Amino acid sequence: MSETASDPLAEILAGLPNTRAVIDSVLAVWPEHAAYLAKSLQARTPAMLAATEAAATAVRRLTAGNEATVAADYRWTCDRLREEELFFHREERYRLSTFAEAMAEVYSDHAYMARYVNGLLLTQVLWFNHVATFEMFLNRVLGAQTQPFDYLEVGPGHGLMVYFAAASSLSRSLEAWDVSAVSLRETAAALDKMGVEKPVSLTEVDILKAGQSERRYDLIVISEVLEHLERPEQALRFLTTALKPDGRIFVNVPLNSPSPDHIYLLSSPDEVTALVEGVGLKVETMELYATQAKKLESALRNRITVSAGLVARRA
Amino acid sequence: MSSAEILNELREIMIDVFDVDDLEVTPATTAEDVEEWDSLSHVRLVVAVERKFKIKFKNSEIEALKSVGDLVNLIEAKTAA
Ligand SMILES: C[S@@+](CC[C@H](N)C(=O)[O-])C[C@H]1O[C@@H](n2cnc3c(N)ncnc32)[C@H](O)[C@@H]1O
Repeated sequence: MSETASDPLAEILAGLPNTRAVIDSVLAVWPEHAAYLAKSLQARTPAMLAATEAAATAVRRLTAGNEATVAADYRWTCDRLREEELFFHREERYRLSTFAEAMAEVYSDHAYMARYVNGLLLTQVLWFNHVATFEMFLNRVLGAQTQPFDYLEVGPGHGLMVYFAAASSLSRSLEAWDVSAVSLRETAAALDKMGVEKPVSLTEVDILKAGQSERRYDLIVISEVLEHLERPEQALRFLTTALKPDGRIFVNVPLNSPSPDHIYLLSSPDEVTALVEGVGLKVETMELYATQAKKLESALRNRITVSAGLVARRA
Repeated sequence: MSSAEILNELREIMIDVFDVDDLEVTPATTAEDVEEWDSLSHVRLVVAVERKFKIKFKNSEIEALKSVGDLVNLIEAKTAA
């Protein structure tokens, strides 16, 4: 199906067979998306393209035999997100603001969730800002570990990050927590399909109700979760107590990112820093990536989605 | 407001929303002619037009918009009502 990809794409994708396969599956159901994808791919650095291919390799294992459905679900998800964008720009707020609303409208609707989760999985390959923070995670979070580490992830979803943490020769123990048993079952199935070799302990935990942590961790990851919480500072406060004294936490949170189940709006990097530092953490590095690699200043001004990836330690 | 005046207003809104220095628009201009005009900026364009002209579009109207001329016609119809 190589003829569906336009020329600039073909060149970039030459050494990236799995990325190419994911893109071809999407263009087969959504040919008009080619220009968007070309722009998204053209903006990536070589390191980002390598991260793209790593994600695509995992994604293909997860979607094997199901490619056309997943591609159609990606298109459907983008349509839902466009509806939320319209509301967000009209009203300057997210449509829902409580967990109960998100539960009633999104989480409890299994058919809706199945499509949405498939759609979001492909964004790990297709969206510039998602790949960019993933590349940060691989190379400057996991890649910066020099000692054996105990890993905790909250809200693992598709499991890609736990999978790569497990693949690191330095990971000593791996845990993932999620409030949803359904989501954890999917993470377990995904880890299985990707062929994770180390044991990963999966536990049903509501991060907002977690008491005292029994264990301490060297590396804690919370990616695309804070915006789903009514009180994100409470989650961060708990996680701070779960860090070893010299442990690090990686937070990935999108700004101005309307989505059916996003209830906590962050609009600027300063708000993120204030949130994180307000609980006794110190931000070491923050990287900001706008949708489609748009210029940061203009993206923030126009309330276009920007992903914020940061590493923090106990202050 | 005449369609020429609407077109002129629209051009200014597009320059602002797409964050470009200048833009040539005619009724025949479509998203394919403007690099910055993608599905995301389309949403912001629609909302900026709604604010400026104090009108509101239906989802079906937004989806049906293919060219600048479509948008001018729709604005004309809505502001005349
Ligand atoms: C959008 S997914 C994130 C997936 C993945 N980490 C990523 O970066 O794409 C959000 C996850 O957070 C989980 N979650 C939401 N509220 C939570 C809570 N209070 N405690 C623990 N997990 C929660 C959801 O069940 C879901 O699996």
